[in-house]
Amino acid sequence: MAARETAWRVTARELESSLEEEKGAGERSPTYLVSPFGARMSRVLLAGTLSPGEPIGRDPATAFWRARFSDATGAVAVTAGSFQPRAMAQVRSATASRPAVVVGRTHLYRGRDGVASVSVRAEGVRSLAEGEERGLLADIVRQTLDRLDLVERLEKEPHVAEAALRADGVPSAWIRAGREALRRYPNADRGAFRRELRSAIRHVAGEFGPVRSPSPTPGSVTRTVARPAGPAAPPPTAEERGEESVFLGLVDEVSERSADGYADLKEVILRSAERGLASARAEAALSRLEEEGVLEEPIVGKLRRAE
Amino acid sequence: MTADGTPSTPAEVRLRDVRPTTVPIEVVGTIISLERKEITRRSDGLRRPLLSGRLSDGTATVRFTWWDPPRETIDRGTILRATGVEVTEFRGRPELTFTWRTRVGPAGPAELPLADPNATPRMAVHELRPSDEGFRVEVRVVRVTERTVSVGEERRVVYDGLVGDRSGVVALSAWSDFALKVGESVRIAGGYVRAFRGRPQLVVDERATVTRIAAPDLPEAAELARSPLRTIAQLEDAGGGEVVAVEGIVVGLLPPSGVVYRCPSCRRSVTSGICRIHGQVEGYVDLRARIVLDDGTGAVTISAGRAATEELWGVSLEEARLRLREQPDPTVLEEELFEALLGRRLRIRGSATQDDFGITVHPESIERAEVDLDAAADELGARVGPRN
Repeated sequence: MAARETAWRVTARELESSLEEEKGAGERSPTYLVSPFGARMSRVLLAGTLSPGEPIGRDPATAFWRARFSDATGAVAVTAGSFQPRAMAQVRSATASRPAVVVGRTHLYRGRDGVASVSVRAEGVRSLAEGEERGLLADIVRQTLDRLDLVERLEKEPHVAEAALRADGVPSAWIRAGREALRRYPNADRGAFRRELRSAIRHVAGEFGPVRSPSPTPGSVTRTVARPAGPAAPPPTAEERGEESVFLGLVDEVSERSADGYADLKEVILRSAERGLASARAEAALSRLEEEGVLEEPIVGKLRRAE
Repeated sequence: MTADGTPSTPAEVRLRDVRPTTVPIEVVGTIISLERKEITRRSDGLRRPLLSGRLSDGTATVRFTWWDPPRETIDRGTILRATGVEVTEFRGRPELTFTWRTRVGPAGPAELPLADPNATPRMAVHELRPSDEGFRVEVRVVRVTERTVSVGEERRVVYDGLVGDRSGVVALSAWSDFALKVGESVRIAGGYVRAFRGRPQLVVDERATVTRIAAPDLPEAAELARSPLRTIAQLEDAGGGEVVAVEGIVVGLLPPSGVVYRCPSCRRSVTSGICRIHGQVEGYVDLRARIVLDDGTGAVTISAGRAATEELWGVSLEEARLRLREQPDPTVLEEELFEALLGRRLRIRGSATQDDFGITVHPESIERAEVDLDAAADELGARVGPRN
């Protein structure tokens, strides 16, 4: 059965939080991106604002364009290559940001530094009237909430029969995705993510207040992973202990607000700088905390308290 | 036909219970269709006659092949008893083979296992499965249309329709005129179920009986023709349906879409002037869209014809042809059509069938669906909960 992959309705924020991949079993089966909020997606449908595109690479023969897509919750990169000529033409021709619908395949990129970033390879792009965009966003938020409800139910009743859920009209693909999300992101903060959808709902209602500037698209951060050498390391000084405590406090603060329950390393480093802790010192504090088993980094670039 | 009255050693088997076996069996049945052929044997080039068709005993219908049949004409409706029949399997279904060892003789209607079709068990419509036979249903006629088809040399009138009870609806194909009228309730006995485009279809021919009955408990025709909106995942679980309604967003367009050429005899699309069935033909121009509609739970293909495509695209067939003259690459036009449809919310009503590529909806109506944004925002806001 070569059934077509469903276009999952997701927000940019959910894509940003998706760091786990599941390779399909069959020979030609796609790779799925698993989100903490119950999507197991190969194809997605997005509605939001698409910025003017920029070409990637110098070779005009292998034309490839990238544009920034944002909605009220976050931002993600949209790419288009010569295999989708119309999608590429759409990305290329725009001179200003405009509301748009994007249908495309998800792609998880892990840089050499291990930092993961999600992009969407467009299969189709169309500029929208504002009302259309809000209508699609309503769909996206509704299904995101449906999925969150399902994941919560699966968490509360881990042994609920699939037949019982399907009798309530839950698609089997969603049940599978929900279970996968719980398995892979046991500590995700779904409540915080649910609250973050408020900004999208305001947009559906036509309130275009100051849109929260989305976090910068990942990809620009380099991180040196050199650790202080082995056993000869001297015991930390009082000043270093102080820095560790600042760093740890920030990790707690950031992870509490984050949707997936992890503290984003970049963000912690940035905030450390605001508190007067230079990034090299912050890195050193992190290394010590990791060595002492206080913090762990189960996904590169994502921190949490060790259990 | 060689009359043969000697008692048979193998046990008589109902066609419903026929399974592939190495032991020859005995069957009784009515020939309901037959065709005489000649096969050229590869080993010596000799031509060998055979008769093939379908045999029914009221419990099931099974295909049979009769090698070296008698020369005299055998009519449809002949009841026969065959002893020493071999059973093989083709595509998961049993088939009967009459070889030189098989003794075939005439039989009477009383020898058939189910003489009175009205005495057969009553089934609910949703229980009907392809190859079922030997049942009766009590149904309301929802729809019926007349159509002429060619069967070999013969032209026959077929009455296509839809019948249903409280459990569901099923497509009907009547090969005799039972003067069915929309809204009346009938008992149908002696029909059988076949798979048509992967969906069960109730077939009634001259062997079946149709009786008008008073059945006030059957839903009205209009009610049976209505269908609540369902998710595409539910439609996939059901394997399609006779009357379905789905709503979703256009996410793709499958080739061939846009301006196509069709065979004048069979309406199939013509590639480079060649029809798959009729060979070299002068195709006539048409407009179509094979739309992929997705509701987030699954995706279906919608085959939109010319009128619906013109409506959705806002471009008429004539305008599309003019554009083709300026820009002869049809894929460019197809891409334009896709871009015009992408992201649109449509509500489709029609019948749905399933194959290896998923569900296809054959639309009766395609409407644009609107979203009440304020209501949606209120409902979603309530679900997220108050600010805290």
